[in-house]
Amino acid sequence: MKADVLIVGAGASGGVVARRLAAAGFDVVCLEQGGWHDLDEFPAPRPEFELMARKQWAHSPNDRALPEDYPLNEDDSDIATLMFNGVGGSLILYAGDWSRLHPSDFCVRSQDGIADDWPISYEDLRPYYEQTDVEFGAAGLGGDPAYPAPFEPPYPPLPIGAGALRVARAHTRLGWHWWPGTNSVLSVNAGGRRACAQWGTCLWGCPEGAKASTDHTHWPQAIRDGAKLITGARVSRVLVGPGGLATGAQYVTEDGAEHVQEADVVIMAANAIGTARLLLLSAGPGHADGLCNASGLVGRRLMVHPFANVMGLFDEQLRTWQGHIGSKIVSYEFYETDERRDFVRGAKWSLAPTGGPINAALPTRAGGSTWGPDHHLHMRSYLGRGVSWGIFGEDLPDPENRVTLDAELTDSSGIPAPKITYRVGDNSRRCLDFQIERAKESLLEAGAYAVEEERLMRHSGWHLIGTAMMGTDPERSVVDGYGRAHEIENLYIVDGSVFPTSGGVNPTSTIAAFAARTADHLIATRNGQRVPA
Amino acid sequence: MSASDPTLGAVVADDELRDRLRRFADALIPAAHGMPAAGDVGVADGQLDKVLAVRPDLAEPLARAVADVDPADHLTSLARLRDRDREAHDALLLVVVGGYYIDPDVRRRIGYDGQQPVEVRPEIIPNYVEEGLIEPLLARGPVYRAVDDIERR
Repeated sequence: MKADVLIVGAGASGGVVARRLAAAGFDVVCLEQGGWHDLDEFPAPRPEFELMARKQWAHSPNDRALPEDYPLNEDDSDIATLMFNGVGGSLILYAGDWSRLHPSDFCVRSQDGIADDWPISYEDLRPYYEQTDVEFGAAGLGGDPAYPAPFEPPYPPLPIGAGALRVARAHTRLGWHWWPGTNSVLSVNAGGRRACAQWGTCLWGCPEGAKASTDHTHWPQAIRDGAKLITGARVSRVLVGPGGLATGAQYVTEDGAEHVQEADVVIMAANAIGTARLLLLSAGPGHADGLCNASGLVGRRLMVHPFANVMGLFDEQLRTWQGHIGSKIVSYEFYETDERRDFVRGAKWSLAPTGGPINAALPTRAGGSTWGPDHHLHMRSYLGRGVSWGIFGEDLPDPENRVTLDAELTDSSGIPAPKITYRVGDNSRRCLDFQIERAKESLLEAGAYAVEEERLMRHSGWHLIGTAMMGTDPERSVVDGYGRAHEIENLYIVDGSVFPTSGGVNPTSTIAAFAARTADHLIATRNGQRVPA
Repeated sequence: MSASDPTLGAVVADDELRDRLRRFADALIPAAHGMPAAGDVGVADGQLDKVLAVRPDLAEPLARAVADVDPADHLTSLARLRDRDREAHDALLLVVVGGYYIDPDVRRRIGYDGQQPVEVRPEIIPNYVEEGLIEPLLARGPVYRAVDDIERR
C-alpha cells in the first residue's frame, strides 16, 4: 500500500521525522534493517559486561558482524567507522553527549576562508534545538557562556563526580572555560522514562532507558499515531519513476524475499554512510552515477572527527567506572579559531570516565598494560583513578574522503558494501597536537600524578557526517537547506550526510534539530509538494 | 544477542590447552601483592568456561595463541604473537584478563563491585556551585565567537 512518506532508517533522524509527520496525519512507513532491543538485553548488570561490550555490543559493525549489520571495507581509512543497526539506530550505543553546534560553525568559509558556509544559521536551528532538547530529555546546566543565550537544558545536570570536580577546580585556577556537560540522559523521571542510575555503561546500551534513543523517545508515539515501522527490512535501492520523482524503495526481508514500498515522499535517514551507499546503489537510467549526484558530491566529503584522548591518573580512588559517560564536564576554551595557532578552527573536550577492571588491564583508550607481578600494581593505580579528556575538533571537508561501493564485499543479502576512504587531514593533526598539550596541562593542574595520551584513536568514527552536503547551488551541493534533493524534489535527506562542515561537537543534537525542522517544513508545504502520479 | 552455552568451554578447550593456558596465565598474572595467580582463580578452568559461554568467538583464536606462546618467556612470546597474529594475541589476553576479573573474590580484593545502579539526586546542590566555581565563568562573559556581523558567503 502506498504511503505518504517512506523513511529509510529508524535511528535518530528517522524517529524525529516519523513522530512529527505521524502526529500531523501523514501516513508514514519506515524500513529498518535491524530490530527492536529490550532494556534487559543490555549487558550492564552482568559480570561479563566488559566481555560482551567488546563483541555483541561492539561499536564497529565489522566487529559485531550481526546479520542486520553490513560490513565496511576500511582498508584505506585511518579511522574505523562506528554505528548500530536497529530501531533507535546508533543512539543505542552512543554516549549521549548532547552538544549543539556553535554559531561560528555555520559560517566557516566566511570566517576562515575555508570549507563552506551552511545555508542555515544557529538561529534557524535554535527553536528546534530547544524542542528536541525536551523530546530527548537533555540534562544540563543553563547559562553556558560558550553559547548565546538562551541556553537552558530542560532537566537539571547529572552529577559530575569527584574526578571532574578536580578538573573543574583546575580550570577555574587556569582561567579556562569548563561547564557541566549536557547529556541526553534524564536526571529525573520524566515522560515515562526513568532517571539515570549511573551504571557507567551508556556506550553499550542503557538498562534504565534513561539515555535517550528514539526506540523509546519517539517511535512508540509515532506508532500510536499510525506510523508503520517494518524491521528486518534492508533497502537495496531507492526507486525513481519516469517523471523523475522518487516512487519508493525496494527492500529485502530476512527470508530473502524482495519487496517494494511505494510512497509520495522518500526520506533518507540511514546515516552518512548508509544514505550515500543507497544513493550510489540506486544508479540507473538518467542517474548513471547514483541518485542526486549530478554534483558528483554524493559520498564525498566524509567527516568523522579524528579523536585523541588524554588520561590523568590520581592518587585518590574516584570510582570512575560509575556514572554517565557522555561528558561529565566540557571545555570550549580552545574551540574557536585563533590566528596565533598553526591550524584553523578548534576542538571540544569532554571529560569521560575510564571503565571497569578489564578496561584498566586492557585499555581501549590511552594507557597500557603491565604483566607479571607488577600487573597488580598497575591495576591499583588505574582502576577507578583515571579521568579522560576526549578531544575532537573540526574535521575539514575533503572530497577525497569518501564512501564508494566496494567491488567485492557484500552484506548478507548480497548487496554491495561501502568502502571507506579517509585520511586524517594536516589541519586536524595540528589541531589535535595542540589540544593534547593543553589537556595535559589541564590534568596536571588538577593534580594528576601521571598523564597518558592517545594521539589518534582508530576506533573513533562515531560521528558520520557530510556525504550529501546541503547548499544553495545545485552544482556544488546535493540538497537544499531543508534537506530536499536538488534533483529529486520529493526526496529528502535528514541525517548527518547533509552537514557542509562538521563543527567540533557531537552531531546528534544537530541531526535531531535539523530533522525536526525538515519535518515541520514538509508539514507546512504539504499542499505544494509535487508527488508521483 | 548473547551466547550462553555453559558447556562450550569444555567442548573447545581440552586438557592440554587448559594446561598451557594456565601456565601462561600464571606468567601474566602471578600471585603477588596479596592477589592470587590467574591459574588459582580458574582462568584455565571454570572461568574459561564462563568467558567462552559469552564469547564463543574467542575459542578458535585462543587455541591458536596457546599453541604458539611460551610461558617461560611470556613477554617475548606476546610481542611475537602480536606481530604475526593480532587476533590470537587479543583473544589470549582477553580470556586471561576477562576470566580473572569476573571472579567475585578478585573483584572483592580490588574494591570493584561491578557496574551498580546509584541514584541520581538532582535536588542536592552540586559541589561546584557551593564552591563558587560557576561565578568566575559567568563573569568572564561569552567564550563563543559572535557571528552577527559576519557577511555570509
